[in-house]
Formats: sequence, C-alpha cells, structure tokens
Amino acid sequence: MGSVQLVVFKLGEEEYGIEIGHTQEIIRIPKQITIIPDMPSYVEGVFDLRGKVVPIIDLKMRFGFTHTERSTDSRLLVLDLENSLIGIIVDDVSEVIKIEDETIEKLSSELLSLGGNRIQGIARIDDRLILLLDGLKFKTEVLTNSNE
Amino acid sequence: MIALAGIESCKTLAEFLVNLIPGGVVFGLVEKDTFVWVKASDSFAMDIFTVGNKLNDDTTTMQAIHEKKVLTQNIPRTVYGKRVSIVSIPVIDDNGDTVGAFSIAFPKLHPVAAAFNDFAPILAEMFHEGAFLYMSDLTKFAYTQPSRKFDMPTITVGKDLSEADVAYRVIKSKQPIIEDVDASRVGVPLNVANYPLVEDGDIVATIGIVTPKKTAGTLREMSENLENSLTGIAAAIEELSASAMEIHSNEEDLNSDIKEIINVSEKINEVSDFIKEIADETKMLGLNAAIEAARAGDAGRGFGVVAEEIRKLSAQSKSTVPKIKQLTDTIKQKVEEASEKSNRSLDASQGQAAASEEITASIEEITSMSGELNTIAKTL
Repeated sequence: MGSVQLVVFKLGEEEYGIEIGHTQEIIRIPKQITIIPDMPSYVEGVFDLRGKVVPIIDLKMRFGFTHTERSTDSRLLVLDLENSLIGIIVDDVSEVIKIEDETIEKLSSELLSLGGNRIQGIARIDDRLILLLDGLKFKTEVLTNSNE
Repeated sequence: MIALAGIESCKTLAEFLVNLIPGGVVFGLVEKDTFVWVKASDSFAMDIFTVGNKLNDDTTTMQAIHEKKVLTQNIPRTVYGKRVSIVSIPVIDDNGDTVGAFSIAFPKLHPVAAAFNDFAPILAEMFHEGAFLYMSDLTKFAYTQPSRKFDMPTITVGKDLSEADVAYRVIKSKQPIIEDVDASRVGVPLNVANYPLVEDGDIVATIGIVTPKKTAGTLREMSENLENSLTGIAAAIEELSASAMEIHSNEEDLNSDIKEIINVSEKINEVSDFIKEIADETKMLGLNAAIEAARAGDAGRGFGVVAEEIRKLSAQSKSTVPKIKQLTDTIKQKVEEASEKSNRSLDASQGQAAASEEITASIEEITSMSGELNTIAKTL
C-alpha cells in the first residue's frame, strides 16, 4: 500500500489537498501584480517570481464561490504542473501531511462528471474531509476559458 | 390767726380730721412755748409733738408766735428723720396778744411715693418674668413691691443704701441709670432702671424697677452656643470639602492611570501581532521546507522532519496570540469597568464637593443670623 504527501489548504471552510509533487512553494500574495487585459475575471494577472512570469488564479472565483474576500492568512500557492508554474490564491495553507492511499475515497463517476473532474477523491483524516485536487486535470481546467 | 376763744372748736375739728387725711397728720397746741395738747393720726406722729414738750426759739411754731403770723415750713429730713411740712397758726387773746400757736404737721411725700402702694402691686405683675419695684429716699429703701414671679429679698424697707446700689449712684449723679446686672449677683441676669424724683429742684427720692432677664439671658447663652456650634460645623464641613477635593484629584489620577493601562495593553496587542506575523512567516518557511524536502525525495527526509518541527513551533507560537489577545481584552474590559466606576466616584465626589459648598453657604447664612440673634438678645 502506498502513501501520498499532500499540501493542505483552505478555500472558505473547506479543506483541499494537492499532491506535494505538484507544488513548488508558498508565498504571500505579491503586492505587484500585472493585470493582463481581456482575461477571465478569475485570472488576477501575472507576477515575477525570481525571473519567471507566473499567472495568478483566484481559485475561489474560478470555483464559483460567492464570497471571495481575502484575509491576512490568504496565500499564494505556487504549483508546478508539468513544468508550468501557476499561482493559486487560497485562504490558508494549513499543513503538509502524509496520508495512506486507503483513506482516499474516489468519487463516483456520475458525481465527477457533474463537478468538472477537478476533484479526484476525498481523503478522510479523523473527522476531516479533504477534497483532493487532480493536479493535471486542474491545469487543463484552469487554463481553459470557462466562458467558452 | 385763731382767737383763743375758738381754740376748743379747732381741737374738736382736729379730732375728726386727724385720721381722715391721707399720709397722716399731727395737730398740737402750744401755750407760750410748751405743748399742752397733741392729737396725732394712727399712721403719723412726731416725737416733738408731745404734751409738755418745750419748743426752742428756732422752731417754726416759736417763730410764728414771735412774728405773729401764720408760717408754713418744709422741714428737711435731717431735722426729724423724715420730711415734714409744719403749719403754725398763732393764737391770740382778746387783747390781740399772742399766747401760743396751733401747729399742724404732716409728712411731706412725693406724689409718686404717695401713690406707690396703689400702682406698684399692679405694675409689678405687668412684666412676664415679674418685676420688683422699690423707692428710696436719700439714704434708705422706703418702699418695696415684689411680684408673684420675682422678688429681691435682700432689699427691705429701712435698709441703708450702699455705694453699690443703683439708687445711691442716681442720687449722686442726679441722672437716671438703666443697667444690666449679670447672673453672678442674684442668680439671674437683671435689668435695673432707676430714676430720681425731684421736688423743688432737689432730688428727694428715687424709684427703681428691677426686672429679671432670664429669657433674654437664656436666649443670649443659646445664641452664643449656636454660634460656637456653627463654627465647629463650618470647620468640619471645610475638612469634608477638602477631603472631597482630595478624592476628586485621586480619582483623576486613577483615571489617567487607567488610560495608561489601556495604552499598555494596546502595546501588548501590538507585540502579539508581531508574534503572529513571525509565526505566520515561520509556518510558511516550514511548509516550503516540507515541499522542498518532498521534492528532494529520500535525500530530503531528514530535512522534512526539521520542517515539520518548524511548523509545529510556529503553530504553538501562533496559538499564544489569541490567548494574549484574550488576556489583554480581559485587562481592557476590567480596566474599562474600573474607569467607569472611577468616573462615577468622580461624579459623586463632585456632587459631594458641590453639596458641601451649599452647606457651607447655608451655615454662613445661619451664622450671620445667629450673630444677629445674639445682638438682639444683648439688647433685650
């Protein structure tokens, strides 16, 4: 039986996890963000991360949250998805945990199809339910114009 | 002049008149120079009017006989011990020669003295604390009249005037005297008024009235006590108002100390915010270290443990922040309660200061009234 390491972050009250292999680092939301015209509203803009231009996605907006305000705990989680860097704004990055594969419940294919494939399963740790993002599907989804 | 033949008629008339004349009278018949017949009233008699008594040439009667005319003389008290008027009428025989005289003597009385026994008993009762009336001649107390409420038992009829007596001084000074006598003399404060009675330009007697002034004395004593008490009260209130002022200034100090405490707890909050910032930063550092360790694979395993420890530390540090906040909030809340209470005390002490000022004003008013009362009591 294998295990997987997750970076756990929050969107509103919900906890999300993404495989640590898809992450690069966590930083504060940069002060200087360059806005790119004619972009979907969830694309905040781009910023300079040590010489690399990285797009910033407001994940809550992308996921259709109605309340998207930020707090002092809001962070930018920089993901490394097949060598492209994407920054996602999350409410809080809470921890890095290792979970066993058997604690992960796959969602049924019917439910998955309703939710646009971005959630690959749910990890149960004690009373907590952590929604697991599928990194690769996430990339395609995020970089696909949702208005289309 | 009386004819010798009519002398018996005179004697008869005199017998009837003798006790009808107010103040009394004495009649006497002198032959040559000796009393041969005397009729005295019950209330008045004179030693010189005694049958067989021989008269000197300088007496009124002998002068009337020598001068052969009716003589009236007022005899001062130095001669017979009391003032008398003597009327001597020569008696003439058929030849027109003077053979003797018919003399009438009656006591000379000032009209006030004559009426004393009539008015004094009434007048004495007309004073609400009673009164003692008296009259003196030039050397002695002659009449006294106590009232039911007040008597001067030391003053008796016939008692010699002494230098201490007001009447004595009135006679000396020929001026009326009204004076207060304090309670040391007879046990109650007195007012003594004495007037000289004058006849033919000379002082012949004095009349005095002694009124006790117990009420006035009591009033004066009370108003003096009142004044003293008020002075005491005023001093006490002054102390009270001074301590109210002190409370006031203490409360003000307390208030500013409380504000200081609130400032300090704000500063604690600032420090605790700083701790939170560091904790956040450390947490991020830990997470990044964990990510880095994971990317390094097996080689990063040890580093991953360190990263985990760092995250735990940051979580611990951060958990102190709400605790500190809670503590400072409690401090603030308690301090605000204290501040509210101290403000109430401040108000109360202000009220107290105001009230004691009002009391002081009232006391001043009462003091001035008691001063007036005292003045009035002294003039009663």
